[in-house]
Amino acid sequence: MVTDFKLSSENKTNCLVINTHGYINNIGGQKIVDEFNKHKDGGIKNYILNLEESKIVNSIGISFLIEMIEKLNETNGKLVFTNLDPTIEKTFTIMGLFQFAEKANNVDEALKLF
Amino acid sequence: MSTVSTEDLVSRLSLQVTSFQDGFKILAKSSSLEELALNFNHILRGSLLITDVNLFYKSNKEAEWTTLFSKDDRYSNSLNDLEISDKYSINFPENKGYKVLSTIPLVNKSYFGIILGNKLDKTEYSEIEKIFLQIFMQILDNAHQAFINYKKEKQLIFELKHRVVQLNNLIGTGIEISNLHKIGFQLELALERAVSLTNASRGLLRTIKGDKVISTIALPVTADADDILSVKYKIETEVEFQGLKYSFCLANKETRKGIEDFDDTDKILLSAIAMQVTAALENEHLHKEALLKEKIKKELSVASTIQQKIIPAELPEIPGYDIAGINIPSAEVGGDYYDCMKLNDGRFALIIADVAGKGVPSALLVSTLNASLFSYLDMQISLSDMAMKINSIIFNASPPDKFITFFIAVLNPENGELDIINAGHNPILLLRNDKTLKKIDAGGVAFGMFDMGLPFEGEQLVIEQGERLLLYTDGIPEAMNENEEEYSDPKMEAFFCENTPDKADDFINNIVADVRDHTAGTLQSDDITALYLIRK
Repeated sequence: MVTDFKLSSENKTNCLVINTHGYINNIGGQKIVDEFNKHKDGGIKNYILNLEESKIVNSIGISFLIEMIEKLNETNGKLVFTNLDPTIEKTFTIMGLFQFAEKANNVDEALKLF
Repeated sequence: MSTVSTEDLVSRLSLQVTSFQDGFKILAKSSSLEELALNFNHILRGSLLITDVNLFYKSNKEAEWTTLFSKDDRYSNSLNDLEISDKYSINFPENKGYKVLSTIPLVNKSYFGIILGNKLDKTEYSEIEKIFLQIFMQILDNAHQAFINYKKEKQLIFELKHRVVQLNNLIGTGIEISNLHKIGFQLELALERAVSLTNASRGLLRTIKGDKVISTIALPVTADADDILSVKYKIETEVEFQGLKYSFCLANKETRKGIEDFDDTDKILLSAIAMQVTAALENEHLHKEALLKEKIKKELSVASTIQQKIIPAELPEIPGYDIAGINIPSAEVGGDYYDCMKLNDGRFALIIADVAGKGVPSALLVSTLNASLFSYLDMQISLSDMAMKINSIIFNASPPDKFITFFIAVLNPENGELDIINAGHNPILLLRNDKTLKKIDAGGVAFGMFDMGLPFEGEQLVIEQGERLLLYTDGIPEAMNENEEEYSDPKMEAFFCENTPDKADDFINNIVADVRDHTAGTLQSDDITALYLIRK
């Protein structure tokens, strides 16, 4: 069941965990990038995007994620996706997101990658 | 104004070649127009000591100028001085608030506007610097073209990858939908995939019976159905299965700039996903049907086994008589039954019966009849009373369309007396020694038709030495050949009269062979059952 998009974030030791809920589309993607920009300007370089509660994503949402990855590459930052639905994982693989970002089963595993 | 000699120009240009090349490389790497402007500022500052660089952008002739890079707001008042034409222009005005004014028409019908102020050392622009500036303007134009091409290439790669995602997900969706088995989950998944693959912002899937919407799935769940149906940009498709319509509606295709109308590919994708739902529903339906058929087949197999166990494996020996019987079931479980039971008083009951219809209910009725006969035959009651009691049992045990035709002849082997009741069965044939044929049909209606206490009229007769009795079911006279011609009662009666072998077994085998000869090449549609008695 797909709900309206919501987002929450939490600061961990050396990174920001962004938890998403719902459809990652134009609105969802923009909110993720806004949240990322807010913390990037504050100096955070490492990010975990927890998609446990997001089961669908469209190409517009993906373009926002690519934008986020490109910005992180410029600053030697790092992004790890976690809790990926199998279809989303396959989609990200085809779109080439894992060439510049990593994936982990869950947030705890992702934290060990920094 | 001093002029530049050709030699001097060539010499200075030679020194700057590397600088121009590096400048282009830096500019071409820019990921945005803002970055391009910032890098241009760095190049002019580094190469010509120009620190007052202002770069503006106009996306088309009619659009307003937007600032890409400027450290001084005062130049926004000079934007009207920028000449808009299809040709590159550069001016070095005097007595203005700036020193250089240039407009570069770009490949995508947009424009760069460049306003430069004083150099760092406040000196005037030399002729050679003006030439260099024009070269840098050209490099900026080329870098912008490279930037546009890079963006287009990136967009093209992105779109190609997205097409692969669409194709891959479309194939995967069909398989996933089929694996879900529950219609609600199947529809939800189909809508999710249709929405995401077409970049729709919302989606609706309604299940409609007649004119009534019986269920609705919206994505997101809070989306209002009427809102989705009333948007300007939408695509719809509908599939139907077993009287239910599944109506898809996708609303507002998303882009980074807002929303737009769906294209033909989106319509094809939606249609393909909707068809996958139909295919999954059909497969599910066929799967259930196959399971049901398998279950019925197993039940019929059980029923057939029960019936075969009721029919005697071998008949008792009757002193002074020869008896033989046969039951050849058809492909379906039939309702034919025969038996020969030895009673406590030394008599023998010859029985044949046929339940209307086939299948498990018929087999169960045969079982009930068999059990009833076992219960009543040795009781000291008349055949007529027994028939009434069994009729009542069958009536109460059977559905309205089920009944049993029944014949019983209780034989006293010592004197050949036959005590007979025929309850709606085919006439039983008795071949007299004088070659006359007696048809025995006295009795009443078939068991299970009525339970009104109507009496069953019996008949008594004697079978003499050498005489023969044939009990049969309609599977023999009604056996049809490929032209749908029945074996028929006359042919059976003639065969009965003309074929009088010494052994009862031989007669049974002969009549079965004759029937098979008649029906050659066709499927046996009814049970073939017969009981044959010869008094030696």
